Amino acid sequence: MKYMRIRGNGRHGRRFAILCLALIVTLPTWPATAVSPRPAPAGHDHAAALAVAPSAGERALRLQALLGQHSVLAAEFMRGRIRGDENFAQSANAALGRNTDAMAQLLGELLGAATAKRFAELWQEHVVELFTYAGGLADQDDAVLAEAREELIEYEEDLAGFFVGASHGRLTTRAAGGAMRMHVDHLLDQADAYAARDYPASNRLYRESYRHTYELGGVLAAALLSAKDAGALRAPIWRLRSQLGKLLAEHVVLVEDVTRAAVTGSPDFTAAGQMLNGNTRDLATAMDSLFGAAAAREFQSLWAHHVDQVVAYAAATAARDSARREQARASLHALEGRLAAFLEGATGKRLRSTSLTDALLAHDQMLLRHAEAFAAKEYGTAHEMAFETYDHMYELARLLSAAFGATVAARLPVGGVATGDGGMAGVVARR
Amino acid sequence: MPARAALLVALAVLLTTGLARSGPPGPGPSAPGAPASGAPGGTASEAPGGPADTFRSVRTYPAVAEPVRLRIPALGVDSDLQRLDRLADGTVAVPGRADRAGWFAQGPRPGQPGPAVVLGHVDSRTGPGVFFGLARIRPGAVVHVDRADASTIEFRVTEVSRVPKSRFPTDLVYGPTLEPTLRLVTCGGGFDESRRSYRDNVIVFATPA
Repeated sequence: MKYMRIRGNGRHGRRFAILCLALIVTLPTWPATAVSPRPAPAGHDHAAALAVAPSAGERALRLQALLGQHSVLAAEFMRGRIRGDENFAQSANAALGRNTDAMAQLLGELLGAATAKRFAELWQEHVVELFTYAGGLADQDDAVLAEAREELIEYEEDLAGFFVGASHGRLTTRAAGGAMRMHVDHLLDQADAYAARDYPASNRLYRESYRHTYELGGVLAAALLSAKDAGALRAPIWRLRSQLGKLLAEHVVLVEDVTRAAVTGSPDFTAAGQMLNGNTRDLATAMDSLFGAAAAREFQSLWAHHVDQVVAYAAATAARDSARREQARASLHALEGRLAAFLEGATGKRLRSTSLTDALLAHDQMLLRHAEAFAAKEYGTAHEMAFETYDHMYELARLLSAAFGATVAARLPVGGVATGDGGMAGVVARR
Repeated sequence: MPARAALLVALAVLLTTGLARSGPPGPGPSAPGAPASGAPGGTASEAPGGPADTFRSVRTYPAVAEPVRLRIPALGVDSDLQRLDRLADGTVAVPGRADRAGWFAQGPRPGQPGPAVVLGHVDSRTGPGVFFGLARIRPGAVVHVDRADASTIEFRVTEVSRVPKSRFPTDLVYGPTLEPTLRLVTCGGGFDESRRSYRDNVIVFATPA
């Protein structure tokens, strides 16, 4: 019945406003900058591969990646609005629009164009209300905050209803509503904390939000795919790739967050660093589970050094200290080879050091370019780099998870277990 | 219509001027040439690169202790855990005693990312084994695993299945994922007297409670 309420008239207005916003943020408001030659991707182009013949598993991973990216971009967008950083907020919004378009395209492949169009409308409106909420925080306008919250609650319900309908009831109203509510709560709460300068809380919620939306992507994919296709999402190799992708892409997101704080000397640097450390710990924990404690310690040492050098590069960029920048770049380059050699050894040469070194070089180059662009306030370039680094990491996660999975599988026990001698066979057989 | 007009005006104002206004926490637009305001409150006292200069990533992670005991209240199971390895023929070793469960020590420890696997006998030649009642456990039942550091992790049963040993789903039981899960495995089904072996395995899947 909400379409009958007075504020319902505003929906058409908001749609028009979304169009205005989209037009503004897609205008080339920043000068084109000379970008270093793009690093070669780790393997074939991820986006192109998905466009050719995406499997159910690929589509599910893509949905996870896009939803995780949405949460990060939305948080950045809101933060930019809170601190009154016009250029950054516009760039973040353009990136958010690109992310929404990609999600709509993906859902279009699964559900048809009309359904995807409906999704895009609801999703964009939800983004506009997040923007409005951030504006209310910036202006300390309680009335705007309350109104935005009210609108967001309605969009939560609309989006939940959309997914319930699109899944033909496989996703319950309760589950969908709860998931959408949590997503919005994460974003609003992180914005509240950010505005209140409670950076530990804001960054904790930023990370929780990413993880929640990423997992939500898997839940939605399982509900939207056919039952047969959804079965692929239960395969351990898919789950390993999904979970490793989540951790590695989170590394990208958090290291970029830290470098942004580093180049600006902002007071949330320490809190952002703690979140990045949490991701580094989680990666090491995963390596322990897959390859044992000794390998995990070696991996973490190399990985931590990699992170340190990226941050050092960002700090040196902020200080305009070219000598320290080059030192950090050289250290990173040396680490690429060492990390590649480690992974080649850990996987019994299922991963080759030479190609892996190239992939890690590409990863580092994009992170450094992101830091440079952000420091120069070339936000369009910075967001472009963020997109590329994020997508590149998913391709790297595909390669790593395949090699990790095969390595572990090679040492798994085979066959059933002989855990009975028949003394109770008469009873056991009847169960 | 008034609502629509008001919204358009408000948004236009917002887009053209609102963003440029500094919100309460922010320092306002940066001066030309100054570092970008990547977060609110970038102040002179927080020199660019200051805390970043001393940043050092964490070099440790929380280790998960080895499991030492398994408890399943619904089945009255309370057993210490034997370490089990993969044998030279590729099969997994089984517990040396029917009344004692064992843990596949070359896989994840319970609570680590990935599937931890615990094996137990359904019976011996003369009587019930530690997992005699496992096939009757129901989804929702709780499994406790005590660890060497005195910590305990609880799992909740999600699924119980029985499969022919000839089609044992190694991948689903042991396959590496990063989800901290638990599998309990024993024998079930009919007993093949000629081979002195049960034909099936009972597999219980559990996730952290």
